[in-house]
Amino acid sequence: MSNVTSAIQVKVLFFGRLKEVAGGAEESVDLPPGSRIEELFATFVARLPELARYRSSLVASRNQEFAPWSTPLHPGDEIAFLPPVSGG
Amino acid sequence: MSTSTSGDLILLVPGPIDTDALIRHVRTGADGAIVTFDGCVRNQSHGRRTLYLDYEAYESMALAKMREIAAEVHAKFPIDRVAVAHRLGRLEIGETSVFIAVSAPHRAAAFDACRFAIDTLKRSVPIWKKEYFEDGAVWADGELPPVPQDTQSRKRAS
Repeated sequence: MSNVTSAIQVKVLFFGRLKEVAGGAEESVDLPPGSRIEELFATFVARLPELARYRSSLVASRNQEFAPWSTPLHPGDEIAFLPPVSGG
Repeated sequence: MSTSTSGDLILLVPGPIDTDALIRHVRTGADGAIVTFDGCVRNQSHGRRTLYLDYEAYESMALAKMREIAAEVHAKFPIDRVAVAHRLGRLEIGETSVFIAVSAPHRAAAFDACRFAIDTLKRSVPIWKKEYFEDGAVWADGELPPVPQDTQSRKRAS
């Protein structure tokens, strides 16, 4: 995070069991320009290593659309990490 | 066949679902059939006695995905109207967690559309269910929603 002035700020949401593991539902995060959803998740894993084991069993969304891990982040994006859905 | 979704009703509700109101909403003089699906809380899960369920949603995205399902139903089946409601919060045994009503001029399309709507909802709408048992609580096993093709993925190591 060397260049704070041009950092990208995104809103991050966790749901279901991920919310319990992450210890909260919502957080703002600053990331270096060029960051993707993958790097965003990695910042949380660095802080909470137990999150790593959920990586293969969750999907991400960007601005309410399911999004691949390689999706680039933009300022103001709303990113959510979603465990397998179980509505109905 | 109407492709309009303006007559549809898509809801997330914190209290009991008014199923009669949803049926009334889809009923028009052009219809010869209304098919409904009532998803309700079962008293056991894999042999363990369930006390109650607690549902949560990513509400803005869940509503968007439910609207997408309604639009897809109109595109796929010759139906008239769709109403979908999902309840959130604590639900007791026997209560309705999700209700879908589809009207159509003829019954086959109404049956097919209703089945398609609940099957799609269960795998693509961001809603989660926590099951409470006498000896603890667990998040229900769910389905991982399909994610659009990753067009920018890095080349595989091989």
